[in-house]
Amino acid sequence: MPLFVAKRTLPGITPAALMSAGVRAKTCCAEMTQEGESVRWVRSFFLPSTEQTHCYFDAASKLLVEEANQRARVPFDEVIEVIEMTPDMV
Amino acid sequence: MAIQIARLRGLTEIGPDEILLGCLQALSRFGIAQFGLWTFDLDTLGIDWLNAPNKTNSPKASYSDAAVAIFDRAGQIARLDGCSDIHIEHLLVAFANEETGLMGDLRRRFAIDSAAWRSAAANLAGVRFVNQDESKIAELSVSPASREYLTPEEAAEALGIHVQTLRAYVRSGKLPALRLAGERSLRIRRADLDKVLEPLVPDKQ
Repeated sequence: MPLFVAKRTLPGITPAALMSAGVRAKTCCAEMTQEGESVRWVRSFFLPSTEQTHCYFDAASKLLVEEANQRARVPFDEVIEVIEMTPDMV
Repeated sequence: MAIQIARLRGLTEIGPDEILLGCLQALSRFGIAQFGLWTFDLDTLGIDWLNAPNKTNSPKASYSDAAVAIFDRAGQIARLDGCSDIHIEHLLVAFANEETGLMGDLRRRFAIDSAAWRSAAANLAGVRFVNQDESKIAELSVSPASREYLTPEEAAEALGIHVQTLRAYVRSGKLPALRLAGERSLRIRRADLDKVLEPLVPDKQ
């Protein structure tokens, strides 16, 4: 399954608002999965010094990641495909 | 649940009313939600609880700005409660001071005051903690060796690999895994462990 990152700039975001966005993203991905689409929020990283958040999704396509985020009302700058590498893989 | 309510109502936007109805439906049995001092009949709230929405015909729904505000408030309440996740009681408390929409209507019809509503939500959290403890006790009482579903740690132990390696297998699709409903925890079916093992075939020169 391809992996994508949704890059967001969220100035002044609070931990509570991040939690809220997480619930919305999770429920929308779950709903889309029930609709037969393949999209799953994997994990997110918050970069405090740049106020950026990188959210990783397993999905069949970039469009599905964009749709999940739009339905969840979580803003993003761009969604791009990424290649994962971990120490176990090399 | 809120998304399903929106689908049932044929809506393309999920608002606070659908979130509240979703919470009440999550608490309900046979269309009746008991919450604190109140009994809510989902039928009278316009929810056809017997009929699941048709996935193919119903519209795709997005959260509204007002719904985002409710989730944000629930997030603040969850933080104050020392939780890293938003639970149903946090969402319900987020409605405690709402005067408009469905909550305003319920407040007038059922003479709901904010303190009693928050108290009912607090009791709900108590029930959840007791249930969690009971499930942990039940889990402890069955040894991993006799269980059909294993935690990632137990599955890694069974294969003799690091748990992060096992998680990489799950991510890459090599090893099927299941997610506990509504939670982040994974479970691996014992019978699936063989799927990451390949027979060693000597090279033929």
